[in-house]
Amino acid sequence: MGILDIPFRKHRLDNGMRVVLSHDATAPVVAVNLWYGVGSRNETPGRTGFAHLFEHMMFQGSLHVPKNRHFELVERAGGALNATTWYDRTNYFETVPSHQLELALWLESDRMGWMLPAMDQEKLDNQRDVVKNEKRQRYDNQPYGDWDERIHRLVYPESHPYHHTVIGSMEDLDAATLDDVAAFFRTFYVPSNAVLTVAGDFDPERTIDLVEAYFGEIPQGAPLPDLPGETELSAVIGDTVRDEVVGEVPLPRVIVAMRIPPYSSDDFAVAEVTQAVLGTGRASRLYRRLVREKRVAKDVVTFAFPLLTGAGMLLSWITGYPGSRPEDLEVALTGELEALGDTAAEEVERAIAVTETDLVRSLEHAGERADLMSMFELYFDDPGRLNTEIDRLRAVTPDEVRSFAAGRLGPDNRAILTYVPEQEP
Amino acid sequence: MDTLDRSRAPEVGTPPAMTFPEVEDYRLDNGVRVVLWERSALPLVSLELQLRGGASAHPAAQAGLAAFTADMIDEGTTTRTALEIADAVDVLGATLTSSAGYDAGHVRLSILRQKLREGLAVLADIVMRPTFPEAELARVRKERLDQVLQRSAEPAAVAEDAFARVLYGGDHPYGASLLGTRESLQALTRDDVVAFHRARYAPGQATLVVVGDIARAELDPLLVSAFDGWSGLGVDPAPLSAAPAPAQRAIYVVERAGAAQSEVRLGHVAVSRGTPDFYTLAVMNTILGGSFTSRLNAKLREEKGYTYGAGSVFDMRVAPGPFEAGAAVATPVTAPAVADFVSEITRLRDEPVPPDELTRARNFLALRLPQRFESVDDVVRRLSELVAHVVPLDFYAGYVAAVGDVDAQAVGDAAGRHLPVEHMAIVVVGDRSLVEEPLRALGLGPVVVLEPPAPAAEPLPPVQEEQ
Repeated sequence: MGILDIPFRKHRLDNGMRVVLSHDATAPVVAVNLWYGVGSRNETPGRTGFAHLFEHMMFQGSLHVPKNRHFELVERAGGALNATTWYDRTNYFETVPSHQLELALWLESDRMGWMLPAMDQEKLDNQRDVVKNEKRQRYDNQPYGDWDERIHRLVYPESHPYHHTVIGSMEDLDAATLDDVAAFFRTFYVPSNAVLTVAGDFDPERTIDLVEAYFGEIPQGAPLPDLPGETELSAVIGDTVRDEVVGEVPLPRVIVAMRIPPYSSDDFAVAEVTQAVLGTGRASRLYRRLVREKRVAKDVVTFAFPLLTGAGMLLSWITGYPGSRPEDLEVALTGELEALGDTAAEEVERAIAVTETDLVRSLEHAGERADLMSMFELYFDDPGRLNTEIDRLRAVTPDEVRSFAAGRLGPDNRAILTYVPEQEP
Repeated sequence: MDTLDRSRAPEVGTPPAMTFPEVEDYRLDNGVRVVLWERSALPLVSLELQLRGGASAHPAAQAGLAAFTADMIDEGTTTRTALEIADAVDVLGATLTSSAGYDAGHVRLSILRQKLREGLAVLADIVMRPTFPEAELARVRKERLDQVLQRSAEPAAVAEDAFARVLYGGDHPYGASLLGTRESLQALTRDDVVAFHRARYAPGQATLVVVGDIARAELDPLLVSAFDGWSGLGVDPAPLSAAPAPAQRAIYVVERAGAAQSEVRLGHVAVSRGTPDFYTLAVMNTILGGSFTSRLNAKLREEKGYTYGAGSVFDMRVAPGPFEAGAAVATPVTAPAVADFVSEITRLRDEPVPPDELTRARNFLALRLPQRFESVDDVVRRLSELVAHVVPLDFYAGYVAAVGDVDAQAVGDAAGRHLPVEHMAIVVVGDRSLVEEPLRALGLGPVVVLEPPAPAAEPLPPVQEEQ
């Protein structure tokens, strides 16, 4: 029995939509959260970035909700809302005062069932401009801003759906048409490809009735098409592959990325713990040794991408000081990957503790609980994984971390991206 | 449910009432003020030890000292090395951070209730007994100097720094970034840090805000034991000098050759948190730029597509803080975007706000209050803001009613007083060769070219696209 016991209940509509309810009346708020099983991995060649552009279009109105009205109604109700697009999924969510649950269900069902009648060229052109500005702001006008794109190109072959990133390319965004919007909607935005979670303060019986009423009549949709490209991947990259950028960056930085087991694999927990041993917090190996002891790096970052298709990705970067030689940074970083072979039990214990802390603390917010339950239901048909996730982490042993490091983090599985300032400052 | 009418938003009942408990507010024998909000949903405790006077408690020439000191307190104590501190916190499953703002220093601990004793021991240790080792000081200085370098390559940070400097000048603490400058960081000595710590990290300057599953009877013995031997009044921060008088409106351009976007900021030195117009300004700014459906975002994003997002804020502090409107806009539309900012601000001053828009803004503020108190960390943040800005702790009990009392007349009057658009500074960080002439042609004021800072910040690791 785990330490978490967050209640939940599952329900399925006749049209295939999966529903998760998780009641907790601590705060008078309710979170409504929808995950659709579509992301950038579903994009066809020439349409990179489209899943995300489509997500923006979902806020442009639907048959019964004029443009801007969606945001207006939720803000007027004192709610917060947003949506995000990721490689494997797209999520939409709002947290509202508990008496406004029905408002959120009405808005979400209207765009799931009746989005297309509200689409027009002007809206598409407007949101295309917004998304292009998002790309400029977050990537093009930022130092190191293209790291994501470059790393994905190195880690995943051109034929793989993760070869390109979620934001996509300007050319492909320009090419998107209203017909694309309609086809994408009909293919992917169907109840059988969606999970709806309601978490927080609500009446469960009445909520089931409301969900049935608002979503039940939306037609099911056809089975999803296969993912484009080749989804099979070897477990490792097969070599050390490289890319280098000499450009407008203030400090040298080395990024190393490695294929790891997909999120659905039992071994992903090992990757997560290894990642935390390596780089989470000031007692982590990279921080302790490279920032504090050897003083070769000014900051370190590690992250395990929870991706489903073929392989996930473990990523680590270190930023040097002015004048640091990139080759020295690389040796320092890869040296630490290899040194994980002597990972001690206390380090694993610490890594599990910090990962667990982050998870538990996030669960205070109804929106976070709802988001995780949607994910676990969509990916694994099991929202209860929220309660057992900690046990999965705790089961990871030092031996597993050591053999994971030996098998997965070696020179036959590394993509190395180096940034070098154009002029030595 | 078979008569579902999709053509209109559903009728809903009345909002759930939010009740605020009586917050306990008392002092320990050594002078530390304690603010306690007991709440027992989960076995968690979150707390902040707040020290009066942040960056505003040292001269502008020492820019960065408050944040530097906060960064240094966990680099070693008389009883623990830096690594022992970091390890202890991780193993407790806690988070312990220290930082400084303009008006206060903040040491925050978030921990499971049953580990509170051990967590408090570490927190008290870094607050009471830091040793500021020379070797760590040198390393942290180097890291912070490099952060300055990184900021200089990030256009939004360049715009923020230039905006603060233009508004407050070089002699006011609000005129420099919290990080400090290359010059000020190089000049700081260990003695400066030790002296700042002695003056600020003293019981007489400290308030402990505690929220979570703990009653006063259990808390007090833990505090007495953790802070055993801590004494002293410290030094009360001197009141800040008056902000400079509003200058003539001008457009300040910082060169960033080849930039895909221009970072635009507009504003002026506005009001302190103590302003009697607090609620009116909250409603007014929600309409102008404080929500997704605000006028600035509606115009610049949803109508024109110039930007990923535009907004505005009254950054209220102990002394008058800035009003700041801003966006990152595509380079070719920089001048038209600036013109839209000016015309939206002007329109708010000149035309009464329609009733529906006013209602929406008032509801946005009043009805989302419960969400702002969802987690214990949220509650600590709310209470700590009140403490830092010397606001009565029962503030939120009257919040909903006070927001509801704001009418169109009040908003119009406040816009007239607090949005002096003809005196605002406009800062643009972008490609001069493409934006300077169009900006000049707007006729809004002289164009002043500012020196860009020496050569950048980083994107976050997992990137998911947000709406």
